[in-house]
Amino acid sequence: MAVFAASVLVATACGQGGPSASQEPAASASAAASEKPQDGGRVIEATISDIATMQPILVNDTASGRVTGLLYDVLIQVDAKTGEPKPNLATFSVSQDGLTYTFEINAKANWSDGKPVIAQDYLTGVQAVGKSAKTVRKSSYQDVQGFNDYKDGKAQTIEGIKIDSSNPKKFTVTMAKVSCPALLDIANTYRILPTHVFGKYLTATSKPEDIDNAPENTNPQVVDGPFTFSEWRKGDQVILKKNPNYWNGAPHLDEYVYKVVANTAAVTAGLKTGEITFGTIAARDLADMQTVDSVKITKYPSLGYTFIGWDTQSNVAGVALADKRVRQALAYGLDMDAVIKAVVFNEAVAHVAHHVAVQWAYPQDTSALNPYKFDKAKAQSLLTEAGWVKGADGILAKDGKKFTLTISTNSGNTERETLAQVAADQYKQLGIDAKAAPEAFQGLVTKLTSGDKTLDATIIGWSLGSEPDPYQIWHSSQIPDPAKNVTGFGFTYFKDPAMDKAIEEGRNPSNGDCSLAARRKNYDTFNKVLNEQQPYNFGYVPNVLAVSSKTLQNFNPAPFSTVYNVQDWWIKK
Amino acid sequence: MATTTATLRGTVADTLVRPSRSLWSNAWWKLRHDRLTIAAFCMLALLVALSLAADLFADNVFNYSFSRQDLLHTYEKPTFSNLAYLLGTDEIGRSQVVRLLYGGRVSLGVGFVAALVNLTIGVTVGLAAGYFRGLVDDVFTLFVTTLNSIPTLFLLLIIAAIWQPGPFTLTVVIGALFWTGISLFTRGQTFALREREFVVAAKTIGARDRRIMFRHILPNILPLIFVLAAIDIGAIILAESALSFLGLGILPPTPSWGNMLTGATQYFVRAPFLVYPPGVMIFLTVLSLYLIGDGLRDALDPRIRG
Amino acid sequence: MRTFILRRLIYAIPTLIGVSIITFAIVRLSPGDPIRLYTFGARDITNEDIEALRRVYGLDKAMPLQYIDWLSRVVRLDFGQSFIYHKDAGSLILEILPNTLQLAVVSLVLQILIGVPLGVVAALKRGSWVDGLVRVFGVAGHAIPAFWLGLVLIIVFAVQLRLLPSQGMLTVGRDQWDLFDRLKHMLLPAFVLSLTGIANYSRILRTETLDVLGQDFVRTAHAKGLRERTVVFVHALRNALIPVVTALGGILAALVGGALVVETVFSWPGIGRFTFAAAIAKDYPIIQAGTMIASVLLVVSYLLRDIAYAVVDPRIKVR
Repeated sequence: MAVFAASVLVATACGQGGPSASQEPAASASAAASEKPQDGGRVIEATISDIATMQPILVNDTASGRVTGLLYDVLIQVDAKTGEPKPNLATFSVSQDGLTYTFEINAKANWSDGKPVIAQDYLTGVQAVGKSAKTVRKSSYQDVQGFNDYKDGKAQTIEGIKIDSSNPKKFTVTMAKVSCPALLDIANTYRILPTHVFGKYLTATSKPEDIDNAPENTNPQVVDGPFTFSEWRKGDQVILKKNPNYWNGAPHLDEYVYKVVANTAAVTAGLKTGEITFGTIAARDLADMQTVDSVKITKYPSLGYTFIGWDTQSNVAGVALADKRVRQALAYGLDMDAVIKAVVFNEAVAHVAHHVAVQWAYPQDTSALNPYKFDKAKAQSLLTEAGWVKGADGILAKDGKKFTLTISTNSGNTERETLAQVAADQYKQLGIDAKAAPEAFQGLVTKLTSGDKTLDATIIGWSLGSEPDPYQIWHSSQIPDPAKNVTGFGFTYFKDPAMDKAIEEGRNPSNGDCSLAARRKNYDTFNKVLNEQQPYNFGYVPNVLAVSSKTLQNFNPAPFSTVYNVQDWWIKK
Repeated sequence: MATTTATLRGTVADTLVRPSRSLWSNAWWKLRHDRLTIAAFCMLALLVALSLAADLFADNVFNYSFSRQDLLHTYEKPTFSNLAYLLGTDEIGRSQVVRLLYGGRVSLGVGFVAALVNLTIGVTVGLAAGYFRGLVDDVFTLFVTTLNSIPTLFLLLIIAAIWQPGPFTLTVVIGALFWTGISLFTRGQTFALREREFVVAAKTIGARDRRIMFRHILPNILPLIFVLAAIDIGAIILAESALSFLGLGILPPTPSWGNMLTGATQYFVRAPFLVYPPGVMIFLTVLSLYLIGDGLRDALDPRIRG
Repeated sequence: MRTFILRRLIYAIPTLIGVSIITFAIVRLSPGDPIRLYTFGARDITNEDIEALRRVYGLDKAMPLQYIDWLSRVVRLDFGQSFIYHKDAGSLILEILPNTLQLAVVSLVLQILIGVPLGVVAALKRGSWVDGLVRVFGVAGHAIPAFWLGLVLIIVFAVQLRLLPSQGMLTVGRDQWDLFDRLKHMLLPAFVLSLTGIANYSRILRTETLDVLGQDFVRTAHAKGLRERTVVFVHALRNALIPVVTALGGILAALVGGALVVETVFSWPGIGRFTFAAAIAKDYPIIQAGTMIASVLLVVSYLLRDIAYAVVDPRIKVR
């Protein structure tokens, strides 16, 4: 249903990677690249939820992220295929001690009204986040020197951001401590705002409402992305027009329409009739879509996974789930290949660790990870080893307690509901009294993050960002504790000192080394612990099935971004 | 839903006599000759019997439990060769026909229980307001006007969306939202009846209020309340199906006619045959109830023509 | 007449206060924490950030204070800032309201255009198969689940026959004022929405026409040699206007309530779907504004009905 906007747990900020120059157009070129692109035409992208705002600092949902991403460019983007940071609107360098980032904005970069994009505009964006009362992004800058003082009204300037006095396009950002996610936090989240538009809301006397309720938030007229804003018909569509002054070359397309439809079935129907130029479809509609001649189907692994989280302290199944052997048995005992076939029609890959294969943080040596191939005998022997034996009724029991397991998931998501029922079915065959229980997403979220321990197992999904830091999901500080009023995503209650250490070193390395190679080493350790301990059954990584009209050229979506090369797209007439 | 009950009720007579044998036998005679109503009764009886016997059918005829999945046989087209696939299978290979039978239990169950809640509240409140008048009636009127000023279905959907109640609470909530029609009717009738001789007579011999309300007035309006109740059950079943369809009512794996369609919309390109049967079942059930309501009213109240 | 309208307007005040209390209680006492839901997944967000947001939206105060706070602003047409849209909830709803209204108006027109002739014809051909059909439809029209009918129509007309669009309000890229295109999109949802109304009107008109046909003046007119059609149109229809107007209130209530379901099925960008989406996301200000505005609509339409009733039926004394 369209209305179930919150059907995916989103773990990280909306750093889906913005539109940007592809430095080497040949890399993404298809056969059509040899043809000369034609200007003109319109692209209609299907979305299930409407946007909420076009103010980058207030964006908190995927839909708004997409549209603001087309309107506002980012300093640093991530490679659409590998997720590695690379220059975009600005080039960057890091100081030896890892504390100071130097950015220089592209000389050609202009706002749509012709004014140059300057370092001051970056500062304006950061100030807006500091001033705003409604943004949820303040923590992105928490480590920037002086930001917290500015945020709390103790200072009028942000000490850590210095604009080069001789070059208005050059500036440095100094951090209070080394933080590897910082680069993307401070430079990849569409937060450069035109000072000549928003500056008036950010004076010393401005109130938070001034920026939060600025009319430009829903009608941005000065932008620096490939498209400019034309119209937002609420609940229906957002219409963008090409920005002829785009610094990285004007797009071929005249118009980009972001169209709201009811559900995935409507996306499929619209793609068939040609009402929609591109959109992603559900796996169940793939077979049907393959019979349509007018479309191209692009498959790529999604940046996220669907999993079953075990509550190792649950009031019901916690005793059993606290035992590593039981969790491993639950991994061996679920025929994931059959599940993938049933639930997503083979359009997924079984998953056994936290990071997904397309991320650079994913272990390069996959042999270190146990694949947990389906092995019912092994599952049963592990359960026996853990003390669970079948009673007369065929149900496993230990110390007089039966092994019951309720697998919850958010209602309205048919894929997950199906998964829950299939999993329950298979666990029954191991002798576990398992059942599926759909529940409203909000209720699930509240229960999981507040630590009420009434859920045995929960099927949800993580949608991961460009930055692989898993701190918020797996660090022991994120385990909810109602007694201390601590909430968090550590709803498995699983913790491991070696894993904590690896997470900390990958985030704030003691030697200041934020290179990908150094961080990857820590994440190898981290993933290995999770793979061994199985606090989740890590489920699967579904494929994204992007379907586009064959008339749309150079459309090459990748895990980290769909629209990274949008200015190269063109419609063949 | 408001429309249905409002207009179907609009024409109910305001004059009534104490039920006498002749009224009842007259009504019975009329009913027996009303073929449409009889057909509707039979249809409803059949639907109730089928859903009550769901276990029997599942175990003996179809040999397929309602929760049984078969991942190798998803989206089977309807066929006679395997009875369990009579109406096809859904996305995880569950038998559509078996789930349809069980779905009837939920829909009918919710309908009857909610109607009971609605009758209890509506009749009690309506009787009190009509009988005591004055302040009680003023408060009643204000409350009912207020409640009637919020579109019922709209309110119900909003409540369901933000409270996410379980099946039982939901049933009670539906009942509690649909009572205004019955109570307005009861109030109007009570208003008229309390001035009648037999009530005045009862009062003079010192009967207590409660006794007068429930022993003297209620029996007079009960028959027509049943008419309204039949119609309300229909309206409630419709509301429940819409809720479940939107994913807010009865949640799977428990099948209900409404939630069987939640899934179906997602695959209607692939399996349109999953869409038709649950809707037809809802339609037949509600239609029978409405026809019965209409027929009963015609039989009970000679002034009304269909 | 003016005093009559004034009186009715004054009566509407306690009703609307009642609506506001019910709405507020239902929304604010519901379980779950909207701020936590809204900030869900925001990177590294802290408990202090969340508490600060709670203060921004005034959710940290005691419930009765929140109510008074809200009501005093609603009176000034300020419905509060939407959690999701960062905009005044009232202005958001008003922006979308025309979409629902146009659907409702077209559906109302359909009801009368189809329902009235059906009823009259049925009465004139009393006892014929046409009459039978209309009578069955008069009940059956109420018994069809609207959302299901919508699905079936989409399958038939949009997916299989490809005659009509399956969803939305306008073909992308068409001008806002392309009325033909808009009408094409409106046809299916408006029909589904009007079904119960058509059933109602056909039923009422049949009864009324029969009633009128049996009355003395019609017989006299007949005897005078007036043609049947004239008789029916002049006399029957005029009398039938009263129940048509009376039924209006209930029908409008059904339109507003039914619109939510129909809008969802056809992804029509109206206030029903919008409010419903807000309810799922626990965006309090929008849910409250949506419910209040839907109720105001209903109260206004009841009022219009009563005025029309007073105008049409001279027997009603205007006080």
